[in-house]
Amino acid sequence: MMQTDDLIARLSTEAVQTALRPARLGMVMALSILVPVALFLAVLGTRHGLMLAWSNPVVPFKTVLPLITCALSILLVLRLIRPEARAGATLWVYAVPLLAALALWIGAFVLREPSARFAEVSAFSLDECLGSILLLSIVPVGVMLRLVREGAATSPTLSGALVGLSAASGVTAGYSLFCTRDNPLFFVTWYGAAILIVTLISAALGRRMLRW
Amino acid sequence: MQLTEDPLATLLKAANADDRQAYARFLHAVTPIVRGIVRARSRSLPPDQHEDIVQDVLLGIHLKRHTWDAAHPLRPWLYAITRYKIIDAYRKRGVAVHLPIEDYSELLPAEDIASPLTARDDRAEVDHLLGQLDPRSAEVVRALALRDETQAEVSARLQISPANLRVTLHRAMKRMAALGRRDQP
Repeated sequence: MMQTDDLIARLSTEAVQTALRPARLGMVMALSILVPVALFLAVLGTRHGLMLAWSNPVVPFKTVLPLITCALSILLVLRLIRPEARAGATLWVYAVPLLAALALWIGAFVLREPSARFAEVSAFSLDECLGSILLLSIVPVGVMLRLVREGAATSPTLSGALVGLSAASGVTAGYSLFCTRDNPLFFVTWYGAAILIVTLISAALGRRMLRW
Repeated sequence: MQLTEDPLATLLKAANADDRQAYARFLHAVTPIVRGIVRARSRSLPPDQHEDIVQDVLLGIHLKRHTWDAAHPLRPWLYAITRYKIIDAYRKRGVAVHLPIEDYSELLPAEDIASPLTARDDRAEVDHLLGQLDPRSAEVVRALALRDETQAEVSARLQISPANLRVTLHRAMKRMAALGRRDQP
């Protein structure tokens, strides 16, 4: 096959590319989340009495659960940039934060008086929460999708979704230090919804951008 | 498991350290392997496209050669890329098959407009055939074949693009020919 031999001759003269360094990619990904969050908190500040609030055992979950999800997702994204990698059963690790969040929600629903259940939900608080998480996610999603393109992900949609999940849950962990609504019925629902929206958008973007 | 190192792995390791000769040898060594997989996996695609896919795979390997982790075996990496590019080839060709027919209208045979109509100078019978078409197609046939209007006029009046008009006429004629044959004793 003459043509194929020509192609090989042409390709073999091209310069080498620098090897993929997942650790460096992971650092940049983490930074792309940290920088917008740090700016947000620098301008608006953390909530008053953060330390005191954390003495309520439910409140730390607002930050810890998204943080765990974020760390898991970045690790998975970094694994999936190798073409031979498969996520498969590893995705079950998400059952841990998911079940914890579900337990918080159900616990709060059962323990609260019916009138107090959804007291903190107002159009304003929703806008603030959803809007902040969505806006803060834009930069990290963009940066991370670009970084994943340097690799060779063979499941573009899943990789895109995990990028969105990393970005949104990381941003949510930071935002939770500002947010004063400690009712799990509020934060599990709306943090979850915001993270889900970003994940779906990023999956759609990944489907188109991460092909090669 | 691996007692001796895969010779391909040795070559790619050297290639990624900027040994061009090793890289050329690597690609030459990989090609028959890829070709074998493509042949086995692409039975439903015409054989003349197989070499195109082989080249797509080689290009994919080339563009992503820095994603192989030398600490891991080479074959799973190689097969994963090959598999991905074969699926990609299917996807691309699948899309190509579904291109709208309008793009091919230039390739449709020139219409022998008279054929289904000449045999039947009986107006009633022609009207009967036209009546079985959708109104728009019937009007296209009437205008172009019976009233000898120009394509430009008809396309402006009915607001159909010229390409679309040719397609509509072509389909209507085929349908009438089929109807005509069925009607004949």
